[in-house]
Formats: sequence, structure tokens, C-alpha cells
Amino acid sequence: MLKADNLVSYRQYLVAIGFTWLLIFILLGRYFQIQILGFDRYAKKANTNRIRKITTTAPRGLILDRNGQILVDNLPTYVLTAIPGELSQKSEKFGIISKIIGLDSVTVSKNYKKYYRGRFIPTRLAKDLTFNQISKLEEHKLDLEGVYYEQVPERYFPSNVNASHILGYVKEVDKPIRKILNKKGEYELGDLIGWNGLEKKYESFLKGKRGTYFYEVDAYGREVGLVSDLSPQNPVPGQNIVTTLDIQIQHTLETLMNGKRGVVLVGDPVSGEILGAVSTPDYKPDLFTGLMLEKEWNNILYDPDKPLINRFNQGLYPPGSIVKMITAITLLKNSNFDPLAFQQCDGSFQFGDRIFGCWWDQGHGQMDLNSAMLNSCDVYFYKTIQFYDLDKLSETFREFGFGQPTKIDIDGESNGIVPTIAFMNNRYGRYGWSRGALLNICIGQGELLVTPMQVLNYLNLLATHGKANVPHFVMVDKLPVNVHPTMLQENWDKITFGMREVIVNKKGTGRSANPNIPGLKIFGKTGTAENPHGDNHAWFIGWAEYQHEKYSVVVLMENSGSGGTVAAPLAKKVFVSIIENRDFVSK
Amino acid sequence: MIKNRPYEIKELPNQIILAVFFLTFFGLIVLKSISQHHSGGLLQNPFSKQVLFMIPAILGAISVLFIPRFTIHKYAYALYSIGILIVLLPFLGGSHAGTYRWLNIGLPFAIQPSEFAKIFTTIALARYLSDHNLQMKQFSSIIIPFIMVLIPTAIVLKQPDLGTAIVMLIPILPMLYWAGAKPFYLFLLLAPLFSMLTAFHNIAFTMWAIILGIIIFIAQPKRLIALGLFFVNIFLGLFSPVLWNSLSNYQQGRVLTFLNPEKDPLGAAYQIIQSKTAIGSGGLFGKGWGDGTQTHLKFLPVQESDFILSVMGEELGFISISMVLLVFGYLIAQIMKQSYLSKDRFSSLALIGFATILMSHVFVNTAMTVGLIPVKGLPLPFISAGGSFLISSYLMVGLILKLSVNYSD
Repeated sequence: MLKADNLVSYRQYLVAIGFTWLLIFILLGRYFQIQILGFDRYAKKANTNRIRKITTTAPRGLILDRNGQILVDNLPTYVLTAIPGELSQKSEKFGIISKIIGLDSVTVSKNYKKYYRGRFIPTRLAKDLTFNQISKLEEHKLDLEGVYYEQVPERYFPSNVNASHILGYVKEVDKPIRKILNKKGEYELGDLIGWNGLEKKYESFLKGKRGTYFYEVDAYGREVGLVSDLSPQNPVPGQNIVTTLDIQIQHTLETLMNGKRGVVLVGDPVSGEILGAVSTPDYKPDLFTGLMLEKEWNNILYDPDKPLINRFNQGLYPPGSIVKMITAITLLKNSNFDPLAFQQCDGSFQFGDRIFGCWWDQGHGQMDLNSAMLNSCDVYFYKTIQFYDLDKLSETFREFGFGQPTKIDIDGESNGIVPTIAFMNNRYGRYGWSRGALLNICIGQGELLVTPMQVLNYLNLLATHGKANVPHFVMVDKLPVNVHPTMLQENWDKITFGMREVIVNKKGTGRSANPNIPGLKIFGKTGTAENPHGDNHAWFIGWAEYQHEKYSVVVLMENSGSGGTVAAPLAKKVFVSIIENRDFVSK
Repeated sequence: MIKNRPYEIKELPNQIILAVFFLTFFGLIVLKSISQHHSGGLLQNPFSKQVLFMIPAILGAISVLFIPRFTIHKYAYALYSIGILIVLLPFLGGSHAGTYRWLNIGLPFAIQPSEFAKIFTTIALARYLSDHNLQMKQFSSIIIPFIMVLIPTAIVLKQPDLGTAIVMLIPILPMLYWAGAKPFYLFLLLAPLFSMLTAFHNIAFTMWAIILGIIIFIAQPKRLIALGLFFVNIFLGLFSPVLWNSLSNYQQGRVLTFLNPEKDPLGAAYQIIQSKTAIGSGGLFGKGWGDGTQTHLKFLPVQESDFILSVMGEELGFISISMVLLVFGYLIAQIMKQSYLSKDRFSSLALIGFATILMSHVFVNTAMTVGLIPVKGLPLPFISAGGSFLISSYLMVGLILKLSVNYSD
């Protein structure tokens, strides 16, 4: 049956061979195209295919007090995560987890959905787990396949002070926050970012640099190991910052002001360093870390005393008599002014068709500049300032830093108001106000508004004859330039003498601020500021001189009466505490 | 006859044997690299599994050499029937991942009957075309051979195994050409396919209709037949969307993914993309044996069989790919040469059929790995791992060697 001869012609054979080689060379050409011509493109693709960049958080810098004690620390907390691709029987596992950590399983699965980013990327289930909870979860490890935990640093406040308005707080970067950041590239979701206070101002120092690791991953997205030819970069921790605060003084101030509304500032007038600053009511600094219940948050947010407001920076107050030195300096600038000339105080003064009262309505009698300061006589200043231009007075206010930011290193500072003629015209119209405004402003009332920080700077300038540095909270190499008012030395001496008399004269309004410690000299001024929101604000400003050291103290107590009877006694306690704890106040 | 054997072995075309061993050896090198990270028993490791299967494969090929040529001819139709029977058998058993390709006969591994059926079909076709001194100038003469091929092909297509079905179908074209069929008739056989493919694209379909018209005009068949041929094709084109809907989802998916790879990046297109990435990143000399990241990090799918050439491309580079392809070309050309030199028509037809089977495997597999055609689950002869595939490939080599030796019986 194999008789049939092969009839294939040479031409048929050639066609078949030709067709074969044609196909082979088409294939070869395609391989050449991909392997030789497309090499760069595919080589890059193969690398990005397998290499995954993983970054790790860097610990944030610590915040220390002037003696190196820790105000803000990092505390490792645990975050519970799950890798969706490895997680089966979710509801059972969520049940076990919720039983152990005491968070209901609905919240756990809600978190799971909220943070889900991909099958092989850890998804957050819960945060702020304690070590105890982690060890219990570890016991159930076999039932919790696909559940992991990671350590993340959180802000922690080991000292006994709040200082919450100074330190501020951090926030976790989420999508809406990331959208508004300037340096988006430096932050990843879940990073901490300073959102207020020093945490915000010194963010660039405190923030560390994320570490970068390159992992080789397989087709399932699982990490196989580090890539050997790409060197990993370890995280760089943030720099610590040393504040000017003294924990001891800060603690004293917070204790003294507990339950009161107001501000106490303690500073070094020469260097501008702030040793303690409270704005009460305040809040615990860890309010913003961890989980906050909505109820707690609402309590704080809608508290009529507004604990979230930083009073020393943002609060605007009428200063009252504590600015009478400004008026005195305005008068002294005029060489024709005679500080020893007497003015009669009858308890009130008629200017135009208005009657301006003295706080002491029985009248102080014959007053010169010095006695007017120690008695805080209003009529003396009405009578002497009435011939001056409003702008002359406001000029002196501005020389001492009022009406402008102090450049303190915490954001959100108010400017305050120093009324000028232009300001009054603008607000009331050219004929809508009278020169009587001048008399109000010269005793620290009327349109004049100041922040306690401006008052501290003003006090520092008085204590240093205009040489004080700007107030600040963090030890830095280069401070912003402060205002430097200048005048004749004899005028500085007159003001200093007047402020000393306020404390030591037996009629002096500030005498209850004097702790009578040998070698301790106090210079001060009280103020009782009328305000539209209720009782008078009580002010005391003063500095202490003790063995070549100077300490400035500003006390403001909202709606609590007269400066001499309320603020001055508290200032006394502050002075005592400073002297008692001098050891801690290193220079 | 027994006396003749030593001469016969001397007469064996060494080029074919060398080429096959070269390809097998090259395949083992690549399989060894893939196997580095495989754990488990001997049969789980593609390299040792392949080495193990070499024994029955080579023994099978040698034993074929002892079968007289006339016996092969005599039992051609019986084998054909067995072929049809064994491709039907899997349908009686359970499905294997939704398919009926594999036959479990109690061995530690399953066998794929279609691998053997394609050889049997080719032999039967060779016998039919050589026994009947057909008037190949007539179109009707090619209808019976066509039906012979279409029966097993349809069953395999139903398994479903599009790749093997294509390999089974293609050899009939060169075999008919070998038997003297007019190229025009072969064109007519292919024409419906083009009509269906172009039907999804208006311009392409118009172009095709014009080409079809011109070719029919040049060939000058009877006017009525010409008109009939033309309109049957056009109607087929118009109905192909209906036929399209009868394809299974995964077949549709593969074709669609081929046409638009971005559509389904994690399905079949994912395989093509990863395969191209592996090959492209290999460059001229490759990343080195065992250093293929695409391979060892498992980005490459079915790397030990369908995508083994991608592994080779990644680790051993364009150099070795060219070598393998050129050796394949050489091997196929050698078989064709034997077919041309063959004294009897049966051997000649069978050889051209086997050459075409090999060529189809090479082309479909290779073109698939570089995204020239849609993904077909089709291995590369001698190189891809696979028990029954290796055995059937070597059986075919045995047959090729046997039929290449003239005047031995």
C-alpha cells in the first residue's frame, strides 16, 4: 500500500522551506525589537515591578525646658493592623479583637473599611493599644492570622505642667491636611505635623526625616527581602528644642492660676526669655493625642471661658493704668514739662463738656509726676496730657511695641490697637470723636487694646532702659529685632524711681506685691481696667532685681477687681517662688 | 529485516537527532533555574520531573523505530479512531479546572490525550491522501480530508483547548498542498476565517471583500461558483458576530485582551505584559542564569511550560533565544527536506504534517510570549515541561526518524 510515489516538486519544497524561515525570522525580529530595541524600557519596568519603597517614621524631636527636663516626649504606642489579603473570617477575628481591646467590633470593621488601601497593604484596625493589650492579642495569635501591630511614636507629656498654649499640639496628616500643606512631599499620610504653638513654629526642627527601605516584592506583593544594590536610609530623628521655660516656675504659675481666668507671664527682661507663661483656663496637653470623645471635645469647644484661646498671645485687653508710664514718658519727652510741678486732683476733671473721673473720686489733692504714678492718679495725667496731640501719645505706645506683633515665636499673635488720629477718623468720622478720647487713652482705657505679651515686652523695655530682646520661648541663635525706645537717662531714672515708689511707698498701689525679701527690689505698676464684659480686669506688671538678676512679671486677672488688691498679691507669690527656686533658673 | 537494522540506524538523519537533543538540553537548563525555588517531591519539581519523563520519552521514540513502516500505514485509521476515543474520554470523567483536557488513568500524573490525537490524525490524513490518487484539481476532493481533521479538532475545541485545536487543524493545509491541491482551494478554506475576523471592523471587512473578489476573479472558477463563494464569505462575515457570542467567555476574553491589552491588565494581558517585561529586560545576554527577577519573584505566569521562552529571554538573553529559534527553523527545514526526499507519498505527507505541527507549536507559543497573538495555552516542544507533551513530542520524533529512512523495509 506504500506504492504511491512521492510527487512533491522542488518548487513545493522551496515554498514550504521559505514559509518556515519567514515565520522564524518574523519571530526573531519581534524578539530583537523587544530585547534589543526595547531593552531600556523593559529593564526599567522589571525593576519597578519588583521594588517597593517602604518608609519608616522618624521620631519627632523632644521639647525640653531650660534645664533639660523633658516637656514633650515620644511614647511608643501600638497600632493594630490587618493585611486584607491574609485575613479570612473577618467578623470572627474582629470579634476576638474587640473583646480584647474593648472597642466594639462595629468600630473595628469601620476602621478596616476606612483605612483600606490595598490587598497587601496593612490596614489600620485600632490605635493606642497598650502593651498589655498587645500581649493578650499575642496569646491569640493563632486565631488572628493576618492581624499585625506596629509601633508608632505619639506625643507624651512627662512633666507636671500643662503649658498647653505654649507647646501646642500635633496632628496626624490626613488627606485634607495633606492637600493644604506647602511641602507635601515631606509628609506621608499618618505622619505627625505640628499644628499649633511651638510644635508648629519649630516644625522644621522637630520633624525628622523618614527612613527609606527598598524591598523586593514578589508577584503577590509580598516582601521577599531588602534590595541589595539600593542602600537603605535610616530615619533621622528630629532635633530637640530647648525652651526658655522653667518647669518649676511654670508649675507654680499654673498652680496659682488654677481656677482663675487670666494670664501670668514671667520673663528675663534682658534676654527676653520667658520662664513661665500661663493662660487660664487651659487644658491638658495630651487632649489632642489619642482618641477624644466628641462629648469631651464639645465641652472644651463650647466652654464659655474659652480654654482653647491663648490669652497671652491672642487676648485683647484694655491695659488700664499699667500704661501710665507711656503717658509719663510722652510728657517727659517734652523738655518744657516739669515733673515736679503740682496738679490739683479733685476726683474729677472737666474737659470740654465731659467730666472725666479719677478712680479715687475723693481726689488725690496736690500731685506731681511721681506721686501721680504711685497713687495712679488719673486727673494728674488728664491735666498734663490735654495739651498734647493724640499722635504724640500713640507714637510713644508704638515705640514700646504696642499696636504691633511682638514677634513671639508662637503663631496667632494679635496686633492690639493703638488709636491714632487717623484711626479715630477712620472709625468715627472726622467729627465723630472729640479730643476727650486722648484722656481715656492716656490712662489705658478707650479704644486702646493690648495683648499680655505686648505688656511683657513693654515691661522688659522699661526694666532694661529700652534694651530688652524680644520675648521668646525657645533658645535660638538669632532673635528677631525688638523695638528699642530711647530717651534721656534721667527720664528712665524718673520712671524707674516712680515704679519703685509704687511698691515701696506706703500709699503705693502696688505695695502688696512686695514680698519684703532682703536684697530683692521690686519695681511695678498696677492697673484696673474697665471693660464692657463685666468686672474690672486686674493688672500688675513689675520686675524684680536680685543679685544682678532681673525677673519681669505680668499678671492679668480677668473681671476680678482692682490691680492693687487682686493682681499685686498674686505677683508677690510669683516673686517669692522665683526667689525660692532661683537654683533652677540657670542663666 | 532484522539484518537491515544496523544500516538503518546509520541512515538516521543525525541533524534531526542533534537538534532535538540540543533543544531538550537547553530546556533543561532553563527548567533547572526555575526549579531552584521549588520544594516538594520529585514530581513537584519541573526539572527532575522533566528528567524523569525523558526516560519513557526516549524509550518510546526508540521503540517506534522498530515498528515497520507498513504497520504504521496499516493501522493509521485505527490509531485515528483511538485518537478520537481518547480525546472523548476526559468528558466521561470529572472536569479539571472547568476543562476536559486531562485524562487521569491512575498514574501519579494526568495525561493530555489531544497531544497524541494530533499525531494520529496527521498519520491518518497522510494515509488517506496517499492511498487515494485524488483529483486534487477538484475542490470536492479536499472535503473528506477536511472532515477527517475537523472531527477530532471540534472535540478538542470543546474541551476547550483552542491552542491544540489549531495545531491539529493547521497541518492539513501544507499536506493538501503537498498532495497537489490548488493553492486557490487552500485559500478558499482559509477565506471564511478571514471573513469572520474582519467582520468586526468595517474598513477591514471592505478591504477583505475587495481582495476576495480580485482573487476569485484571477482564479476564474465557473461564474456561478465564483458568485456563490463570494457571497457565502460575505454572509459568513455578517453572521460572525452571532458566532462570536457562542464562544466561551475566556476565549472571548483572550481575543479581546489581545486586541486591547490595557482593558484587562490583571487577566490575560497581565501575562503578556509580564512576559514582555521579562523578555525585554533580558537584553542581549540576559540577566544570568537563575537571576531573572521576573521569573523568580513569580511575576511570570506558567513559566515552566507556556512561558518558558520568557524565562530564557530574561535570564539568557536574545543570544540564546536566537539560537533556539534558529535550531527550530533548522530542525523543521530538515524534516521538510526528508519529506521532499522521501520515496513514498505516505511518508512524505506524514513528515510535512509533523513539520507543520512543530512549526505551529513554535509559532503559536513564541508569538504568544511576545504578544503577537492572543494568549494560547500551548507549550514549546522539547523545551517546555510537561509529561505527556514530552512523550508525544518524542514519539513524533521517533516517527519522523522512522519515516526519514528510505528503503529500509
